Amino acid sequence: MALRAVRVLGAKWAPLPALPALGRPRAAPLPPPLRVRGLGTSALLLAARKYTDKHEWISVENGIGTVGISNFAQEALGDVVYCSLPEVGTKLNKQDEFGALESVKAASELYSPLTGEVTEINTALADNPGLVNKSCYNDGWLIKMTVDSPSELDELMSEDAYEKYIKSIED
Amino acid sequence: MKNMVIRASLKNWFQLFYVHKFPAAGFKTTADGAIILQSVSNDIYQNLAVEDWIHDNMNLENRQVLYLWRNSPTVVIGRHQNPWQECNLKMMRQKNIKLARRRSGGGTVYHDLGNINLTFFTSKKKYERMENLKLVVKALKCLRPQLDVHATDRCDLLLNRNFKISGTAAKLGRTAYHHCTLLCSADRFLLSSVLKSPYKGIKSNATPSVPASVKNLFEEDPTLTCQIVMDAIAAEYAICHQIDHHVTLINPTDETVFPGINNKTKELQTWEWIYGKTPKFSISTCFSMVYKHSFLEVKVDMDVKHGRIEVCNINLPEEWLPPALCGELEKNLIGSKFCRSEMTALASALLRSCPQDYEVHRRWNLLYENMTTTLM
Repeated sequence: MALRAVRVLGAKWAPLPALPALGRPRAAPLPPPLRVRGLGTSALLLAARKYTDKHEWISVENGIGTVGISNFAQEALGDVVYCSLPEVGTKLNKQDEFGALESVKAASELYSPLTGEVTEINTALADNPGLVNKSCYNDGWLIKMTVDSPSELDELMSEDAYEKYIKSIED
Repeated sequence: MKNMVIRASLKNWFQLFYVHKFPAAGFKTTADGAIILQSVSNDIYQNLAVEDWIHDNMNLENRQVLYLWRNSPTVVIGRHQNPWQECNLKMMRQKNIKLARRRSGGGTVYHDLGNINLTFFTSKKKYERMENLKLVVKALKCLRPQLDVHATDRCDLLLNRNFKISGTAAKLGRTAYHHCTLLCSADRFLLSSVLKSPYKGIKSNATPSVPASVKNLFEEDPTLTCQIVMDAIAAEYAICHQIDHHVTLINPTDETVFPGINNKTKELQTWEWIYGKTPKFSISTCFSMVYKHSFLEVKVDMDVKHGRIEVCNINLPEEWLPPALCGELEKNLIGSKFCRSEMTALASALLRSCPQDYEVHRRWNLLYENMTTTLM
């Protein structure tokens, strides 16, 4: 996500969900199968997000990375009015342009955080591009992609490092 | 004003800014390395290619560029817009008005030689549209203090509180640019006629334009020509960046200054970019045809993706055209470009391939003619 620093990282970071197991009384019966699925979802949400210096995030689960833009990015962009995303099957190199988000302020290029192939795009964004603003870490994800060179993940920033990074570009 | 072409020095200047080849630190010149460029071309595709070239090739950390350009009559749509929704393509063909898609967002505008385009290139950090617009307002007030011009929250410039004289769009990529139009003496009648779409029944998520009443600066003060206004803006920019008021003329076809630029120009002219980048849309429309003194209602539904027909349904009375033939027609349209010339070529190919039935030929021809006229 290409943009200029505008606002200090606010309190809008999506809170990490609590594990369902926590706080449950010891005597409680074994969780039904639904609970097991619930745990799986939480694990997905907990997969650590890694960030690029262009404000995309990626979280990798079972070899597939989910890509979106950071809260800082969506705030800086303002209301997103159109999401231009690639076709499934598009092969991307790290840092390739893969689409653009148009907001009331500008058309902003999207850059791939890793090398891989697009396996899915978020079709909900066609009718509801505002999801990128409302839920940039969950429902407002952009694409899913294969991770062809897992070592590239190490070159991305952790959440802490990214937070420091956006503080530094604001100065 | 001192307009000078110093190709050699310009070439050096640009080469020093190649992102990967030379670190910007090696450059020693004016305080913040600002430069004012003006295109000698009036070709929209060449002029947009300069923007792409600067965006892709120059390191704009601590440097900035003001680029002035004008075009022969052209309609320019935003990056994610639908040309069939935004303009009258039929009228543009008749009047020889070009269509271009730019890489920035926003709405559709009409350009001719009476309209100035200004592009402000900066790093993403220095990207500040309102500052640029203030500079333009200041330049205009400097020129004619009595002018009532101000910038709105949407980054439009309004004359006399009501009339739009300038619209803004921007692109943020590896670097940033903000560009805006400025109406000095454009053909206002043509502007409003070509920016009205005659095509009905289009549904799409494409970015819509926001229509506005417009006016030319020239109508407020007949002495305000494009050249005078461009000079004033260049002068203000020079003061603001503490550089000499010196405008460098550039030729966007000069590969020695802009290596690879002609490929960028070609790409901007392709059907795939101008029409093919249209966000997926559907069109549902009805028209009536006169055939042997009787009226005939036809309903057409199409889904168009990447500018190509994906789904096609044509409803017309069975007794007029047998369903099998109608199905054949629909089948042929699927996958073809949603464009007049391709539809016409397809129609004639289909007619050649079918049995020599004169009556069927006439009916198909009539249907195709009406469809292309109604749809594109």
